[in-house]
Amino acid sequence: MIILEDVHYSYDGVYTALRGISLQIDDGERLAVIGANGAGKTTMMKHMNGLLRPQKGRVILDGQDTKYMSVAEIARAVGLVFQNPDHQLFLDSVKKEVEFGLRNLGFTESEAEQKRQKTMVNLGLEGFTERSPFTLSGGERKRVALASVLSTEPRFLALDEPTIGQDAHQKSLLAQMLTEMNKRGRTVAVVTHDIEFVIENFPRTIAMADGQIIADGSTSMVLSNDEVIERCALALPQMTLAARALRNVFPEVGQRLTLLSELEETIMGILGGA
Amino acid sequence: MHRLDPRSKLVLSIVCASVSMMFMDIIPLLMVFICLLPMIAAAKSLGRWATSMKGLGALLVFVLVFNTLLSPMEHPFSYSLSLAIRLVALMTSFSLFFLTVQPDQLSQALIQMRVKFEFAFAMSMAMRYVPTLGQEAYAIMDAQRARGVELDKGNLIKRIRNIIPIIVPLIIVSIRRALSIAESMESRGFGANENRTYMEMLRFKKRDWAVVLASLLMLSLTIYVRFFAGLPGWMLWGLPF
Amino acid sequence: MALVEFADFSFKYLGADSLALKRITLTIDEGEYVVITGPSGCGKTTFCRAINALVPQFHRGYVAGNVYTDGKNTRENEVATFASVAGLVFQNPENQLVTLDVEKEIAFGPENLGVAPNEIRRRVEELIELLDLEELREKHPHEMSGGEQQRVAIAATLALKPKVLVADEPTSNLDPQSAETILEIISHLNKRGMAVVLVEHRLDLVAQDASRIVLMNKGRIVADGDPREILAMDLCEEIGVGVPKATQVYKRLRTRGVELGTVPLTGVELAELVQEATSR
Repeated sequence: MIILEDVHYSYDGVYTALRGISLQIDDGERLAVIGANGAGKTTMMKHMNGLLRPQKGRVILDGQDTKYMSVAEIARAVGLVFQNPDHQLFLDSVKKEVEFGLRNLGFTESEAEQKRQKTMVNLGLEGFTERSPFTLSGGERKRVALASVLSTEPRFLALDEPTIGQDAHQKSLLAQMLTEMNKRGRTVAVVTHDIEFVIENFPRTIAMADGQIIADGSTSMVLSNDEVIERCALALPQMTLAARALRNVFPEVGQRLTLLSELEETIMGILGGA
Repeated sequence: MHRLDPRSKLVLSIVCASVSMMFMDIIPLLMVFICLLPMIAAAKSLGRWATSMKGLGALLVFVLVFNTLLSPMEHPFSYSLSLAIRLVALMTSFSLFFLTVQPDQLSQALIQMRVKFEFAFAMSMAMRYVPTLGQEAYAIMDAQRARGVELDKGNLIKRIRNIIPIIVPLIIVSIRRALSIAESMESRGFGANENRTYMEMLRFKKRDWAVVLASLLMLSLTIYVRFFAGLPGWMLWGLPF
Repeated sequence: MALVEFADFSFKYLGADSLALKRITLTIDEGEYVVITGPSGCGKTTFCRAINALVPQFHRGYVAGNVYTDGKNTRENEVATFASVAGLVFQNPENQLVTLDVEKEIAFGPENLGVAPNEIRRRVEELIELLDLEELREKHPHEMSGGEQQRVAIAATLALKPKVLVADEPTSNLDPQSAETILEIISHLNKRGMAVVLVEHRLDLVAQDASRIVLMNKGRIVADGDPREILAMDLCEEIGVGVPKATQVYKRLRTRGVELGTVPLTGVELAELVQEATSR
């Protein structure tokens, strides 16, 4: 679906953010991008929807070089949801806000109306149709921002730090929603610091450091890699710490354990046998 | 230059500006300008001064051209030239202040000159948040462009319309930010006491008095020469066109 | 006398539909480390602001009951009165740094309260050392990372020598390493005697340091006590609180008939309990 070929990018020709990024994301994948602040995660994401253009290398969307496509054109296929919903909300009703993207991308009245309604129902926003987004709570505004990007039904959805400030319930709702979207064919990518969220929901992880991709593969493999842990400034999740501590005493404990349910089963096994 | 109290620099600047305003002829104005340059150099700000003067360039050309064409004076170009030099001298006098005084020094100077703390602080806070606001504006532009807003296309009317999705979020975000900042400031006692103290106070040193004295002397001398003694003939020289 | 005392306190923001805090009664004593948690909208943020009188003096609305911080009623005193008692640290670091450099920021609070200049200077130097801010001394706030900014914000709050540090999700906007650093600083301050009230969703990070957890839901306090006891309750999952993963495993094992004894808060504790269980 989207391919980055040896992409290089520097801000103002001074600060090199990307030093040769190459990756391929196929249709229907679900992945997370992790890395320390300044590793280039957001810069890379912005190349995927054309906000930034590679100074060297190419970005290929559905087989086409994005060089000659405008951001608006790319937005039909790639939807990027930013961290702060208040950076997007400016209209006086949730309805208009969700419609906005649809209008910009040239859908007809009826198509737009249908898609808008569908999206709002999916995100539980029908109750807020005529409300001004500014009167909604933080979490609700986040949903409105998400809805406004989802309404145009981009085949690739990328979210920048969607879990910041969310409580456990909101996070699990988000995870559920992303997983469902992915099951129905949408490609989903998330940039995040929240390792627990990554472990529980994303089978593939791309780890970045200093403008390069240092690991790209299955989440459990990438997150057991010591180099990744160090260079991405990760805090080891409690499950990993538990697994490691157990492994010292029970060598049969698996190498790649990171899911809570896996650890639970392993412990049952250990105690059952004792 | 930098170690002078901002208040003495203020006096110096004002005197220089006044002196610049007093003359209408090329030679004295050039002399004033030539005196100003070493002061800027002493502040190691020649580079920045040059950049700001470049900006002035267009205005200078405008002044020169229009005054030459429209002035009723005998030697219009000569007159325009003197006006241009005067403008440069004036701007340089003020640069002397603004290039060498940092925002917080300015703020403290104002406070010690009895400007209310709230006003002086509002000014320095505004400066502090300028880069933040800029970054926020870029983030908003990115977010809206990602939704298909085309900021660099379309005729004038369309472009103006496209400012709305940028300005509205910017204003709202700024208001939210302001409330958040206010909470932090209140929590730290802002506005509590009439007798607010300051960790670092500006104090006049000998060199500050020297500068103020020298400036006032310069001013008196110039007033005398200009209005009472009269300028010597050679100073009134002008171009014959 | 308790440091902070909520006496049947209720509050509704102007223009809101419902009460943000409903009949809150609790006390906080010196030296405690209280973690306040609960689902979004439960009133944790309002609770923090009620400690130093931002609620109801800055955020006006309907008030009932009283809050006494260091013996003074928050309904009858201005926010500034509490500046040297309760130090608030907020979620967004950038909005807490209002001056152009670190020294001035730390001096800001004491200056507002009319503290003598050389005392202010002394506190500034002391805090720069305590919070390792030497390298940041001349930096403009915009040039600092989130973690650095938050450290400066904490220093600026400590400059007023508060008796309790009230931190409202101070690490939410930070990357994991900075978050860890900030929480370590807070824990260290607590060990030196400062009372701490911390609002946090991610209990994995703070449960071990807390001496007490208070669960809030829909404006009420629904549980208050020892962290291990509270987190072992099913109530946590019911209201949607993010119980530490190790504790979750403990609870799931419990439903399958396996009782590990003490409630673990971290992965390492869990592993130790499993070990003990097998050696019995």
